[in-house]
Amino acid sequence: MSGEYVLKRDIIYDHNERMLNIRKYYPYFKLSEMSFRQYKEGQFENLDMGYILMAVLRFFIEKNNFNEELVTYDEYEKFMSDIMIRDFEVKEEEKKCKELIRFIFDKINNDGRPFVYEYFNPVEKKRQSMRVKLIDAKIIDGIIYYSITSDAVEFYLDTKEVRDESNITIEQVLLGKLISSKNFKGGTRVVRRINSEVGRLLAKKNEVLAVLSHDVFQGVKVYEEFNNTVVKWFDDEQKLFSQNKELIEQALKKAESESRYYSAMQDIYMLESELNKAITRHGRLLSECTDLQIKADELIAKAKLTSLRISFDFRDYFRRLKDLDRADMIENIIVPMLNLNVPKKFDIINIDDMLLYRTEGEEKVEKIKDEQLKEYVYEDEIEDKRIEHNYGIFLGVLLDMMMKKERFTLSEVEEELRKRIGYKFEKNADWYSFLVHLCQKKEYEINALSEHPDTFLEEKIKNYCKEVQKYQGLKFYIESTTEVINRPDIASISDIIFVVGNGDTDG
Amino acid sequence: MDNRNLEKALEIFSCLVKGEEISAGKKETASLYEEYIDNPEVYDIVMTMCRKMNLSLYEYNDTLYISPGKGNRVFGYSNEELKKEIGIRLNRELYLCYFVMFGVITRFYSDTSSETFTEYVRSEDIIAAVDSMLASTLKEINLMSLDEVEENSFQAISGLWEELPLVVNEDAVSVKASKGSKAGYVKLVFNFMEKQELLLQNDGRYYPTGRLKALIENYFDENKGELYNLVKGAVKDAAYQQNQGE
Repeated sequence: MSGEYVLKRDIIYDHNERMLNIRKYYPYFKLSEMSFRQYKEGQFENLDMGYILMAVLRFFIEKNNFNEELVTYDEYEKFMSDIMIRDFEVKEEEKKCKELIRFIFDKINNDGRPFVYEYFNPVEKKRQSMRVKLIDAKIIDGIIYYSITSDAVEFYLDTKEVRDESNITIEQVLLGKLISSKNFKGGTRVVRRINSEVGRLLAKKNEVLAVLSHDVFQGVKVYEEFNNTVVKWFDDEQKLFSQNKELIEQALKKAESESRYYSAMQDIYMLESELNKAITRHGRLLSECTDLQIKADELIAKAKLTSLRISFDFRDYFRRLKDLDRADMIENIIVPMLNLNVPKKFDIINIDDMLLYRTEGEEKVEKIKDEQLKEYVYEDEIEDKRIEHNYGIFLGVLLDMMMKKERFTLSEVEEELRKRIGYKFEKNADWYSFLVHLCQKKEYEINALSEHPDTFLEEKIKNYCKEVQKYQGLKFYIESTTEVINRPDIASISDIIFVVGNGDTDG
Repeated sequence: MDNRNLEKALEIFSCLVKGEEISAGKKETASLYEEYIDNPEVYDIVMTMCRKMNLSLYEYNDTLYISPGKGNRVFGYSNEELKKEIGIRLNRELYLCYFVMFGVITRFYSDTSSETFTEYVRSEDIIAAVDSMLASTLKEINLMSLDEVEENSFQAISGLWEELPLVVNEDAVSVKASKGSKAGYVKLVFNFMEKQELLLQNDGRYYPTGRLKALIENYFDENKGELYNLVKGAVKDAAYQQNQGE
């Protein structure tokens, strides 16, 4: 029964893990299947993609992990040119060779997409896919740099070097043994391998972070795996580091005291400096892992929030625009992504338009009119003229009534005005200003005011009577009453009585 | 309001408007970035200025990115300016370029929360993508009568694309930006997107920049409602025009 269980567990439950381990080999076999027979009519048929891939990976490990440098495309290109000439004796012209190297680079990068490895998951009973990338790219200060992925390093090391959950621990145990057996040169090689492993783990940490930011569910799985295989070994690794450091210090002391060790001094120093470098890098790995932990928590929290929010689906939006047949509306997507358009320039196309503007066949003569300069009338003069005209109308009505009647009221004057010019005088401001001026004096004598006009109104009466002679000798008085003339929405004015003659008034 | 904070906020805003990148990773702008992140008053002033000027500001990977949004008359591009920038003259050519840019974006993102894991794109990828996206429209064109089509329709841009040869000369490596071929058009668009700091080129491969990622992952989610309203508005207009026609 238990045997059956073990069998089932091995087949079903361990399958996922086995596939996870296998996936790193997938790109190699996919690429090595590739033949150059179709490329450029088989001109480069002798090239072997498997060999080229291994060489490129080794080159990246050298640069990224040993020298801690990122690789530019030009460096890759130079390395590949050497391989082509040295190993495959490619003697094509430079341009063709560069094209071939670019073609290989795109193949190793799977045209910018990860290699997708599909397998059957017996636990969930469905097909699943895993992504593997060999080379990563990142933009730093506007330059694109390439680096090897941890999967690729793992794959490369698996092909020769033995791998375990913590390479660092194994290597350190080995290092301890080598120091004890005084094989310092071998020890230095082991420490270099440790350095390379630390470099791989640093790269792995960045990849975990990248997966977390793209796909949090997948990312959490990768993160847990990383924790199980890397973080949990830190304590052991650090203990071993200090043990080995002690061993080296002892070896140094011995070398200083015993002359037979003296020749190994140089090797011990080199080993010590390599180990110090490894300890520093290991410390950095530790702090990076702590940083990863903080960022992972943040990303998981953010993912929880965004999972409640529906994202904007470009394809759905495009489908709607297509239904509308409005290609111009794609600008809704494009325009917000553009930079600010700050420089405002005169459009050169406008110069084109100006040059292309059709001029008249012949120049027309511009006629110059001999115009006389007109007298300029100021605004206040226009107003004065208007007031004089309106006051003339009012005076005409008032004085005409005085010629006919000896006593009458303002209401009667207004009635007469209504008959002659209609209701519009009620809304004319000049009428009210006329009344205000009129009430400034209680007695008016045409002959006297014609000689010495005292007020503004008397001046106007004088001018009016100069033109119309019939009012000469007229004399009138103004008497107040308690009556009020109500004019809704405009004004209320006190009624007055006009008395023509000697002026027997009550004051 | 603290004068110093106002000065810092203005400094940040002026840098952004001038098109300078404010990033924690850049020595010259690291202090400004810290002011923006750590000083709430500076943050508020900068955000208020942006809002009042119809600009959107986003923070992505410790860098600030600004967008003119849609219909910004002061900081945005007019159709004419865009045509000039890209190097085309007709509206339908501009709409085709929009379409190609859309093709580039959807190679990297299917929606704002899912990257497609594509690291870079090349001219041939985009030609293939545009071909396939326009395929259904092209099919409709072939079945259609020879009615005159609107310049802003998909049929118009499909027609324009269909008429173009793949390349003018056989040397695909040295394709020049031009309106004479599909590859030339894509190159025109790539050049424009590179100038707009949305893509970065290395030996024919175009990589998405932080700016492209920042705007895609932030702007569209924030303005989703408005974008869909524009489509709804266009549907109503179309229905109205149809009724008028009847």
